[in-house]
Amino acid sequence: MDERPEDRLVDEARRGGREAFAELVRRHERRVYGVCFRMAGDHAEADDLAQEVFLTAWRAIGSFRRNSSFYTWIYRIAVNTSLTHLKKKRREKARAAFDENAAVPVPVPGAPSSPEGSSALNELKGRVDEAVGSLPAHFRASFALVAGEGLSHRDAARVLGCSENCVAWRMHKARKLLRARLRPFLEEVGS
Amino acid sequence: MRCRAAQRRLSDELDGTLDPGRRSRLEAHLRVCPACRAYRGGLARLQAEVRPEAGRSAEYWAGFEKRLEARLDGEEAGRRAVERPFAGRRRVAWAVAGLALAAVAAAWFGLLRPRPILIADWPQDEYGLAPLLLEAEADPELGRAVEGEIRASIREIAPAADADAAALAAADPLFWEGLSEEELGAIAAGLERDNGLGGPK
Repeated sequence: MDERPEDRLVDEARRGGREAFAELVRRHERRVYGVCFRMAGDHAEADDLAQEVFLTAWRAIGSFRRNSSFYTWIYRIAVNTSLTHLKKKRREKARAAFDENAAVPVPVPGAPSSPEGSSALNELKGRVDEAVGSLPAHFRASFALVAGEGLSHRDAARVLGCSENCVAWRMHKARKLLRARLRPFLEEVGS
Repeated sequence: MRCRAAQRRLSDELDGTLDPGRRSRLEAHLRVCPACRAYRGGLARLQAEVRPEAGRSAEYWAGFEKRLEARLDGEEAGRRAVERPFAGRRRVAWAVAGLALAAVAAAWFGLLRPRPILIADWPQDEYGLAPLLLEAEADPELGRAVEGEIRASIREIAPAADADAAALAAADPLFWEGLSEEELGAIAAGLERDNGLGGPK
């Protein structure tokens, strides 16, 4: 495993070092993918989004000014890329709803779309993913970072550009909504 | 503590942001509230289902990195293909523009710019006016002689100019209109006194 400190990798990547950037990708790809998956609710979309996040990061790494840590920066790109994707998807969904001839089914957020995904997820997990996918976008982003990736409220606030209290409040509301939606499953499992 | 506040604190507790004072009040509430205990159990179960990473195999990640590498390669190749020719063309364009500007500047300053006419630049033949005027500046006697010559030359030309003025006045009867005989006389006397030239008769 590459032992170089992250700051050094970032410096090398900023100077055009593809190998250093590849190591940064290896260190953060799972977390970035996790955020994208929880935002999009679909493995195929999460794959596309995670690729897009790293492409964006490569294009922009020259302008990364170290005001924040690299992982905060990459998470911010992941959240923004996902939010943009969700907005686009919502617009397309709205257009499809008005198009009487639209025969293409609109993907349901959270529904497993790949064989790998469907085999890996049990029913409750699938329900949880689906319920997370139904949260309002900014609640979903907070939930993905804190509950999904284990970020502190402070770090999540840095990524999302809001206060810690805002993150705490969104987490409370998101959990309340999820619990209300999943109560039959959670109680069934818990009993 | 009410249930509503307790639920908010339960969320903070899960995220590890609950301070000890609030934690003890929350624990006290949970001891007497089965609904909030159930709520806590539900949140814990939910958290357990969310936390695990989305479950992708090592092969998937190898493929992910490979695809990303290929996309970065493609992007860099595309950028080089687009940037290089244009960069070369831009350099040539700037060089041509610079040369053209230099040529225009040289033509303007070297050939086309109007030059101030200096006495020293006048024709330097021995009978020319320029050396005479330069000498007259240093010699008062010569200066007076030159001035006399110039005045005499003007007097030679003046009658013709006078005749032209008279002809102009005759052709334009309104020229003197509005002036009284006295005013006309005063003007004529003034002209005669100042310049030795007569006004309209």
